[in-house]
Amino acid sequence: MQTFANPTRFLKLSDRLLPWAGALTLIAFAGGLYLALVEAPQDYQQGETVRIMFVHVPAAWLALLVYSFMALAHSTAIVLRHPLADVAAKAAAPLGASFAFLALATGSLWGKPMWGTWWQWGDARLTSMFVLFLLYLGYLATWEAISDPMRGARIAAIVAIVGFINVPIVKFSVDWWSTLHQPASVLRLGGPTIHSSLLLPLMAMAVAYGMLFIWLWLIGMKAEILKRRVRHMQIAAAGKA
Amino acid sequence: MDLHAPNVGFVVAAYGISAVVLIGLAIKTIVFLKTQERQLTGLEERQARRRGSVHER
Repeated sequence: MQTFANPTRFLKLSDRLLPWAGALTLIAFAGGLYLALVEAPQDYQQGETVRIMFVHVPAAWLALLVYSFMALAHSTAIVLRHPLADVAAKAAAPLGASFAFLALATGSLWGKPMWGTWWQWGDARLTSMFVLFLLYLGYLATWEAISDPMRGARIAAIVAIVGFINVPIVKFSVDWWSTLHQPASVLRLGGPTIHSSLLLPLMAMAVAYGMLFIWLWLIGMKAEILKRRVRHMQIAAAGKA
Repeated sequence: MDLHAPNVGFVVAAYGISAVVLIGLAIKTIVFLKTQERQLTGLEERQARRRGSVHER
């Protein structure tokens, strides 16, 4: 990991990886959408509505994974002083926020026909997921509000690491409390409980979402490194003038 | 997918909103990168020109 601590080396590596990541993302989405919309059968209870799961569940998984990644990246920056760790967390945040928003929006679109309601404040899973979305917004607002990247990184690290407490709450809320939201059916001890004809498209879409994250995260990292270079050059030019 | 099945509008809306958000996110991220690349190139060119004029003097 320390090999890519050098921003110039990271930029060279990302230039090599970006075309591949972009192509793999498109292929993964083409395959995933075909399985989700064409191959997957209707559910005997939910009917066609089950197809919402193929965009809702990967978005929710990614929202949780990305936040965990951000907390880990900031911890790495604090402990190992890795110069790109803060950049990695910052580049991941808008992606995670979008996934959290999609998990809430598509979940609501599933809830209306299945539960008869768009939203239920008393439900622990829904509310903790909404808190995760707010944490993402707070994290992004922190970076926006502080122009100095070093200071911004310190405060953003606090938001990310403290906010990480919410991640296991989201994950285990369906086990700890009696909720409207159904319990875990894929990532659980004892293995998945859903049929392989629905599990396969779900996993394919999860891979597509994961690839999209990697591709856009690499672009975001590269953009953030260049932004910092521009800032340094502008400060240096202003100092000379 | 049966487009005449009950509640299919919710499925279309879920895929529609996902497409809009994810494509929008990709466009925003790429435009942000292109902006930074353009700014950096502009600054480097200006710096090179300034260095050139100092050498000429």
